Amino acid sequence: MIWFTWRQFRTQTWITVGLLVALGVLLIITGRSIADAYAAANVAACSGDCTSAVDNFLYEARKGTNGIVYSLATAVMYVVPALIGIFWGAPMIARELETGTHRLAWNQSVTRTRWLAAKIVIVGAAAAATTGLLSWAVTSWANRIDAAAGNRITPEVYGARGIVPIGYALFAFALGVTLGMLARRTVPAMAATLAIYVGAVAAMPLWVRAHLAPATHVTPALDLSGFDQFSRAENGEMRITGGGGPSDAWVLSNQTITPSGQVFTGPANQQYCGPNNGPQACIDWVGTLGLREDITYQPANNFWQLQLTEGGISSPSPYCSPDSASGGPVDASPELPTTEPTTPRLRTASPGAHVPQSVGT
Amino acid sequence: MSSPVLQAEGLSKRYGRRPALSDCTLSIPPGRVVGLVGPNGAGKTTLLHIAVGLLPPTTGSIEVLGGLPASGTAQLAKVGFVAQDTPTYAGLSIADHLRFGAHTNPGWDRQLADDRITKLGLDPSQKAGKLSGGQRAQLALTLAMAKRPELLMLDEPVASLDPLARREFLQGLMAHVAEHGASVILSSHLVSDLERVCDYMIVLVASRVRVAGEVDDLLASHYRLTGARRDPADLPLGAEVIEDSHTDRQSTMIVRSTTPIDDPSFTVEQITLEDLVLTYMAQVTGSRPALEKTR
Repeated sequence: MIWFTWRQFRTQTWITVGLLVALGVLLIITGRSIADAYAAANVAACSGDCTSAVDNFLYEARKGTNGIVYSLATAVMYVVPALIGIFWGAPMIARELETGTHRLAWNQSVTRTRWLAAKIVIVGAAAAATTGLLSWAVTSWANRIDAAAGNRITPEVYGARGIVPIGYALFAFALGVTLGMLARRTVPAMAATLAIYVGAVAAMPLWVRAHLAPATHVTPALDLSGFDQFSRAENGEMRITGGGGPSDAWVLSNQTITPSGQVFTGPANQQYCGPNNGPQACIDWVGTLGLREDITYQPANNFWQLQLTEGGISSPSPYCSPDSASGGPVDASPELPTTEPTTPRLRTASPGAHVPQSVGT
Repeated sequence: MSSPVLQAEGLSKRYGRRPALSDCTLSIPPGRVVGLVGPNGAGKTTLLHIAVGLLPPTTGSIEVLGGLPASGTAQLAKVGFVAQDTPTYAGLSIADHLRFGAHTNPGWDRQLADDRITKLGLDPSQKAGKLSGGQRAQLALTLAMAKRPELLMLDEPVASLDPLARREFLQGLMAHVAEHGASVILSSHLVSDLERVCDYMIVLVASRVRVAGEVDDLLASHYRLTGARRDPADLPLGAEVIEDSHTDRQSTMIVRSTTPIDDPSFTVEQITLEDLVLTYMAQVTGSRPALEKTR
């Protein structure tokens, strides 16, 4: 079965290897130019206020070809798990059922359980290895940029780094295999795999990820030196959002509250914030109110805890999460597929698979 | 070698409320080439799929070579199956298929497989998807043969083949049986395909086994009676009327009788296997409209 599984997936394997090599070459070439920019901007050697050194480096690293490769590498990390689910997972069983070759395969001297196990293990391992290698390459390539930008934990970057892509690839693969068994037709299974994968990857940062590690909650005094939002309406209503939280954190919520804990909405004092006053008078007045920022965020150093937990959730593995402290959301996760139900499902799927033949004999 | 190759007791398969196989009881002796014949949709594929373990029966029990179908590696190795439409992997070459067989069957007979492919004049590097229907059927048969099964089951293997390919396929099958002595169960909706090769016949119509037995016994116990018109009810004891037709003056009956019909008022004739099978098929479709509807 090992040889045969390899033989069936040989073409896909060579295509994958080819694409990986092409991307690898691209990363090596642009990686050098980024390292040069890093050295030129003197980021490593700077001490004290490094803002300008970092900004210079980021400007160089994100312009031209480097910028395109940066966006491409991030996109690839989201696209590859989907491709694995669509082109490796969905057709694996569906194509056999569709073309009737399962009747050939299941009548060799190999039990169906072993047949399925061999395919799932071999192709699943290839999926994990491919995304693992890819993610390692992209994560190390982007390491300096991510560190300089301090945005490793923000949703778009986070999902394209570390071990989470491996989890997504295994999830997409298991999803494709399962849907292929249920649909028994390749193209609908591929379409359904793509749809559910996109839904799951979008749902993760929107509803799930924030709860996978304990968030930090702080209420510092409102920082008057910079606002994300500062507006006053005709009727005196005000909306203020401070720039709060560490710059490298993933801010989940940020509200401005009064000393009594209410969300601050005004009213604006027309003496300072009226149409005839400049903004500074209004800001000075706001400063006298004793407002605080109410911020919830995932700090940058939660990155690996989140990665391990999310990687564990999305992987269809018998163990769920290496971190029992965040086991709650893991168990509650609706997208946790396990390989266990697929084996019996295959058995129950086979009767139906033959209905048309028996009718039309 | 006297225990049956296939023994079924009250075997039934239903798809929802529609019966695909009803109360099938069979005991097929070893060393036979068995023809499983019936019209399209009679349940032949269902019976064969149950026998190789691709389908679980709804009720009843089945043993193939003394074991449960597909119950393990040893059981799988004893049974060869060529499925309907002879599925092969279109993207893989003939050599790949043979390697697949070699890797997945402990009893793989490489010599047999290579010889057959050479004899058939096939190029091992050719993709199965590019083969003609006859060549693909031969490839599927080679795969099933080279695992050297004790029982070889084939589901309508020649249905889509032209007459020449049909003959070559059946010749190849019979040569293998003569050389290696495997039992064979072969289904078809055409009696003419089976007549020349089978020594045991099962007629399956509208999900039920109508008659099963050695071809010689069947031929020796069925007669066509022609004579002056008379009621089928007053025939000699032990003669069962399978089919009767009457004109004003004359009656023609096909009867089954274990003892020779010795009635001077009839002309007694032997019937051919084809007539016999068609009679059983017509019996159901003609006189049982209720069953006809369920097909």
